[in-house]
Amino acid sequence: MSTEITLLVNGERRAVPVDDDDLLLDVLRGLGHTSVREGCGVGACGACTVLADGHSVSSCLARAVRYDGAALTTADGLPADDDVVEEFVAARAMQCGYCIPGFVLMTHELLAENPDAGEAEIDAHLEGNICRCGTYLEIRTACVNAARRRREAAHTEKESA
Amino acid sequence: MTAALHRPRDLGAVLDLLAGTDDPMVFGGGTAVQILLKQGVLAATDLVDIAAVPGLADLVATPGGLRAGTMVTLRRMETDPLVHDRAPLLAQVYGRVANPRVRNTASVGGNIAHGDYRLDPPTALLVLDARVELSSAAGVRHVPIREFFTGFQETAVGRGELVTALDVPTQPRGGAAFSKLSSLAANDWPVASAAVLVTAADDVTREIRIGLGALAPTPVYVAVTVAATGSDDDAVDAALAAVEPLIDPLPDVRGGVGHKRRLGRVAVADAVRAAWTDTPRDIPREPREEASDDHRLPFRRLRRRR
Repeated sequence: MSTEITLLVNGERRAVPVDDDDLLLDVLRGLGHTSVREGCGVGACGACTVLADGHSVSSCLARAVRYDGAALTTADGLPADDDVVEEFVAARAMQCGYCIPGFVLMTHELLAENPDAGEAEIDAHLEGNICRCGTYLEIRTACVNAARRRREAAHTEKESA
Repeated sequence: MTAALHRPRDLGAVLDLLAGTDDPMVFGGGTAVQILLKQGVLAATDLVDIAAVPGLADLVATPGGLRAGTMVTLRRMETDPLVHDRAPLLAQVYGRVANPRVRNTASVGGNIAHGDYRLDPPTALLVLDARVELSSAAGVRHVPIREFFTGFQETAVGRGELVTALDVPTQPRGGAAFSKLSSLAANDWPVASAAVLVTAADDVTREIRIGLGALAPTPVYVAVTVAATGSDDDAVDAALAAVEPLIDPLPDVRGGVGHKRRLGRVAVADAVRAAWTDTPRDIPREPREEASDDHRLPFRRLRRRR
C-alpha cells in the first residue's frame, strides 16, 4: 500500500509517497541524502545511521511509514561549521569516508546526552559502528576533541551570560 | 509474498488482527522482524505494527517495582532513572544489548518474544523474577519469566497473543553483576552470559540467583544457597556445581561444546565473584525505601559498567 508521509529532513518539510515496506534508508537516498549509506543491512555497522527526533536509528532496518512526522538529521544536513565534523577533519579521522557520516551522527547523539563523555563513554557509544579502513584511534581523538570543544563553548557561554 | 502491514490505533484492533489473520507477526521495534524478513526466513502473512497503540510504551513505578509496557525501548531501560533506582542490574544488562541504535528501536516485549537463547535481558529478568503480561482477544494472563522460555526459539506466547508488559520486582538488596563473553566481535551474540544476584535467604544464608544466556537451548535460571560467612571461592564453587548440569551448549561458528562450556564456567565464576564481593556483610532485611521523584537525579551518566 502506498501512503504519503511527511518527513522533516534537516529542517526541510518533505512530503513523500512511500510503500509499506520501503526502508527509510532508500527513501532518504531517493531524496538525495546520499550520506546515508547501506553497509551491512542488518543494523550492525552504522553506515546508514540517521537521527530521528535526536535518537540514532539504523535506517536500513527502519520502515519509512513509521517515521511520518519525524524530524530527521542526516550528516549531509549538518552546517558547514559543525563542530563534530570539523574535529573529524582536524583529526584526519577517515580514509575512504564511507562510514564517517554514521560516526559523526553517533557522536552528536552522545554529546547531546552527555557533554562530559570521556573515552570510555565514547567507546561504548560508538562500538556498533564499523570502519573498514580502521581509523578508530583517529575517530576516538576526534570525539574527545569535539567533547572538549563542546564543554569549552558551554563554559564561554556561561561566562558571558 | 510480501506480508501485509497493519497499523492499528488501539489494542482491541491489534488483538482482532492477531486472532483473525492467517499467520500474523507482531511488529514492535521491528529490528529482529526486519532482519528475518530480509533474510527470507520469516513466513508471516500479516505484520501487526503496534507502534501507534497508546500506552504500550509507558514505563511506570509500581508498589513493588516497575512496569514496562511492551514498546518501551531497550535504551530507555538502560538509561531511565526509575530502572536505575529500582533494578540497577536490569539497566546494566539492557545496556549491553547490541548497539545504541538497535537499543533505541528494539522493544522490551519483542526482545523476549523473539525467544532467542542468547538474549541478554532474560538473564536479569530471570534473577529478578519478572512477570510477563500476555494479552489476547480472550483476555489477559500472566506468566512468570521463569516459565516463559519453553524451548529452542519457543516461548509461552500463544497464538493470538502478544506481550503487553513486563512487571519487574524491585531488586532485592545485596550484590549483583553481569558477565558476557563473545568469541567473535565484541558486538556479536555472546557464547556465554550470566546475570547474578546475591541476596539474603535468611540471617545466616545467602541466596545466589543465576540467569544464564547462550549456554543452553533456552535462557536458564538456577539458585543456590551458601552460608553468609562463606568466602567468594565458596560462592563460586557452589554456583559452578549448580550450573554444571544445566549448561548444554549448541555448537556453532562461535565455538564447539567444550569451548562454550568452558566460557560458561568463566562467565558464571566472574559474575558470582563480583556479585558476592559487592554484597554488604549485613544485608538489610527491611524493604528498600522508595526514592520519591524529587530525590532522583535528573540526569545520570550513561557510563557502562564492565
